[in-house]
Amino acid sequence: MAQLTLPKNSTVQKGKHWPAPVGADPKNVRQFRVYRYDPDSGENPRWDTYDLDTTQFGPMMLHVIIYIKDHVDATLTFRRSCREGVCGSCAMNIDGRNTIACTKPLADIKAKVVSISPLPHQKVVKDLVPDLNDFYAQHAAMQPYLKTTTAAPDKEWKQSIKDREKLDGLYECILCASCSTACPSYWWNGDKYLGPAALLQAYRWLVDSRDEATGDRLDALEDPFRLYRCHTIMNCTQVCPKGLNPAKAIGAIKQMLVEREG
Amino acid sequence: MSAERSDQRPLSPFTTIWRWHVTMVTSILHRASGVALYGGVFAMVAWLAAAAEGPAMYARYVHIMISWPGRALLFGFTLALSFHLLNGVRYLLWGRGIGYDKAAADRSAWLVIVLSSILTLAIWASAYWNLGLLAMGG
Repeated sequence: MAQLTLPKNSTVQKGKHWPAPVGADPKNVRQFRVYRYDPDSGENPRWDTYDLDTTQFGPMMLHVIIYIKDHVDATLTFRRSCREGVCGSCAMNIDGRNTIACTKPLADIKAKVVSISPLPHQKVVKDLVPDLNDFYAQHAAMQPYLKTTTAAPDKEWKQSIKDREKLDGLYECILCASCSTACPSYWWNGDKYLGPAALLQAYRWLVDSRDEATGDRLDALEDPFRLYRCHTIMNCTQVCPKGLNPAKAIGAIKQMLVEREG
Repeated sequence: MSAERSDQRPLSPFTTIWRWHVTMVTSILHRASGVALYGGVFAMVAWLAAAAEGPAMYARYVHIMISWPGRALLFGFTLALSFHLLNGVRYLLWGRGIGYDKAAADRSAWLVIVLSSILTLAIWASAYWNLGLLAMGG
C-alpha cells in the first residue's frame, strides 16, 4: 500500500524566521519557505522562512538561494553548477513542482510564499540535497551506450539523417531527476519501477538505428514493475525543465513490446 | 558515510507539497472511479438478486434505492461510470501513441471532466423526465 504521509523522523517542523533587511521597501519583499535538514543535529527537518528584498538578486530561483547562502544564512546547502540549464544539478521542488532552479524565474511564481524543498520522496542528505544513488543506478542499468554484435566499421557507425532525427527529444536529458521524483508511481515503487528518466534513456537506445541489442533491451524492460508501473499520470512530462516527453517515450516502449508479440 | 546515518535520513516531502496538474487529477480519478465501479457492481448484483428473490424483496431494494442516500449512491455510480468510460478512451488513444503532448494531454483531461459531468447530468435528467412521464401514466 502506498504510504501517503511522511515517516515520523521526516515530518517537517516550524523553523526559523529571517526578517526582511532593515530599510527594504515592503513592495519588493517576498517570503521564501525553505526545507532545512541538518544531519548532525539529530532533529527533524524544518521549514525556515526568509523575507528577502527581491531587488538584491537576479531573476532566477537559483539567484534567490545563492543570495540566501551568501547574505543571510551561510549554512544553506544545495547543489548547483552551470547556472544555465545544462548540468541538472540544481533540480529541486519549487512552488510545488520539480524544476531546475537556474532556469525558473521568480516572476513566474504566483504563490504568496515561495516554497523550496528537495526533490520529492527522496532520502535527504542535507537541506536541498537528496540522495540520488538509486536514480543513477537505474540509469546505469539501462546500459546507455551503443551495443553491437557486428564487426566495428573502419570509420564511424553510420546513421541516416532521418534515423538521427529519431533521437531528437531523447538525447537532451540532463539527468536532473525532476521527472522521476515527480512521478507518484516512482514515489510508491521507486525501488522496482525504473522511473521516467531511466525509461526515456532506454528508449533513446531502443530507437537508435545503430544499436543491435534491441531485443535484449526490451527483454530487460518487460516486467510488471520496471516498465508497467507507468500509468500515464504525465507528471514527468509536465515538469521536465528541458521540455522532453518521457511519458511519450514510455508509451512507445509499450508499443514496441506489443508489436514484438506480433 | 556510514550505513547507519544513511538509514536515518528523512524522506523529503511529496504529497504535502505537490501542486497538481489536471493530468494527475484525471489519473487519480480514473483509479478512484474504477474502485467505485467495483463497489457499484455489488449494488447491481444485489438488484438482480432482489429481483430473483421475488416481488417483496425487489420492492425493498427499490425502496432503498429511491431514498436520498440511495439516489446519491446511484448518482455517484453514474458519475464514476461516465468518467471511467470517457477517460478510458484517452488510455486507448495513448496505447496508439496519440495524445501524449503536454498541451494535448491537458486538453483531453479537461474535456473528459466536462463531458463526463454533462453525460451524468443528461442521464439523470432523462431518468427524471421518464419518471415524470410514468407518474403521468404516459
